[in-house]
Amino acid sequence: MKIAYYPGCVAQESGRELDMATRWVCRELGIELVEFPTFSCCGSGFVDEANQILNVALNARNLAIAERAGLDLLTICSTCQGMLTLANVKMTEPAMRARIDPVLAKLQIAYGGKVRVKHLLEVLVNDIGIEAIRAKVRRPLAGMNVGAFYGCHLLRPTLELGSESAEEPHSFEELLTAIGATPVMYRGRVMCCGFPILFVKPETANRISGRQIADARDHGAHAMATPCPLCHISLDSFQNKASAAVGQKLNMPVFHLPQLVGLALGASPEELGLPRHLVPVEPALARIGTTP
Amino acid sequence: MPEKLVTAHVDVFRHDPAGGGAPRYQRFTLELPPHTPVLTALLRIRAEQDPSLTLRYSCRSAICGSCAMQINSKSRLACQTPIGPEIAEHGRIVIEPMRNQAGVRDLVVDQTPFWEAYDRMRPHLITDPLRPMPEGRETSMTPAQVEQFRETPRCISCAACYSACPAVEADAAFPGPMALAKLYRFVVDPRDQARQDRLLRIQTEGLWLCLRCHLCTEACPKDVRPSERIRDLKEMAIAAQGGTERGSRHAIGFKQNIRERGQLNEMKLVLQTDGILGSIGQAGQGFKIWRKKPEISKRPRRIEGIEEVEEIYKELDPKPKGDR
Repeated sequence: MKIAYYPGCVAQESGRELDMATRWVCRELGIELVEFPTFSCCGSGFVDEANQILNVALNARNLAIAERAGLDLLTICSTCQGMLTLANVKMTEPAMRARIDPVLAKLQIAYGGKVRVKHLLEVLVNDIGIEAIRAKVRRPLAGMNVGAFYGCHLLRPTLELGSESAEEPHSFEELLTAIGATPVMYRGRVMCCGFPILFVKPETANRISGRQIADARDHGAHAMATPCPLCHISLDSFQNKASAAVGQKLNMPVFHLPQLVGLALGASPEELGLPRHLVPVEPALARIGTTP
Repeated sequence: MPEKLVTAHVDVFRHDPAGGGAPRYQRFTLELPPHTPVLTALLRIRAEQDPSLTLRYSCRSAICGSCAMQINSKSRLACQTPIGPEIAEHGRIVIEPMRNQAGVRDLVVDQTPFWEAYDRMRPHLITDPLRPMPEGRETSMTPAQVEQFRETPRCISCAACYSACPAVEADAAFPGPMALAKLYRFVVDPRDQARQDRLLRIQTEGLWLCLRCHLCTEACPKDVRPSERIRDLKEMAIAAQGGTERGSRHAIGFKQNIRERGQLNEMKLVLQTDGILGSIGQAGQGFKIWRKKPEISKRPRRIEGIEEVEEIYKELDPKPKGDR
């Protein structure tokens, strides 16, 4: 399949390992990524707080870029997924269109509402298919208990996103099972990682992420995995702070979703950017007999 | 035709702090049609198996807001939640008191903090006796103005949102989704004369601690959509007062950031939110991250077509308050 690739800001900067892993997995599964250097940031929820109409307009421009190429759009970030989908929904409201269409028209941009915004998780589970992925597994992640961590904006609000249950989703766990890992069920898997207030009130944000990590660990997780690089910042890059906030050493390896899929399909840890993590992933890799 | 009965294993949280003894889960098993509300199941348990089971409820019709509790970890009204789907998903029904409020007994919690947060919002019309509305126009409101608070008056104060909220769980300074939705209702009321003061105060009283996780909106039985009303409050606060707080500075900084490059500049955003001095406090962590991810110190590329982005900003963000 061929799809417009919307990597998002973080995967092009501090979360570059997510971009590396995505490209590796898509190459392996025959997903052709079409790149557009014209894409702007999705606003990450912050622009939405400051000026909602501006936020919708910026994303309508992004959607129109994919539409012009006749492609659906692939995201690898829960927040990008949420913001672009929200814009798709808002662009069906006549009042919103009345404000935005004339602005875009001046730039010779028109958005017809035809683009579907799909997160990599959805593409893997629904377009490629669980069985097709299972058939390609060369290194089953047997022995690794993984706590999926969805990221809020992949799931909620249901009214806009509505693809699977906002509080009891299953697709990530199905994918983990297909690649040989054992999914861990815990309440925190659908909770917030704290990222939106990481720079507003860090101690509160760290406490929130620490609780979710501790919850996964208490339910037997050897590692966590997330489809969102913002969650990854909270859970991995700031895990030392989260540990301090909850008063326990957490030591939880946290993978990006395509990194785990890549491992199962035979990629090396280096190809997936695993050495870039702040929390060492070696203890989790040792469980599946892999050393970087 | 009568529905086929299902076997319901109901594991109920039991605790009587006054009577001593550790909290425990007690299993009750009963046969019921799948459409039976959880509340009905609990009342059957109380009538037939254990009269000491303690819970709050009243109307049984999702109007009084008394029977909110955790049903398989989701904050829900028990009278509105059928047992069938819960059994299908989980094989059993785990019933616990609402979160974020101290237990009194079994499923009953102390709602004092919830109501205190509500009171802090001054949830009533505030008018200035020295600036009365013109005679005959005291209650005039356009349909468009009414439309703005179509959703919030539906709230039944059940506290399901408060129970579901991770910000409430982590920080007592956050007033909770319901309180903020109620505040919104008065901020958009054209008769209210304390709008500016309300927006100013809430910026320092927890508005910017909302995580926009939308768990409140999922939990709300009346579709009040508190997370979206909180978003509205943030936008109104910025429009009225600019970047007076870290939260508003962060949102404004982010917006400017995209205007300049079309892409996020991670380092610059930290500077905009924290200022130079505040950023030095973050430097230790920044260095730890930089050692693994050195590109955080580099300026990101400017996207192609940035002039289109600039044009959109000119049209839709013409005179923003608080931009630097």
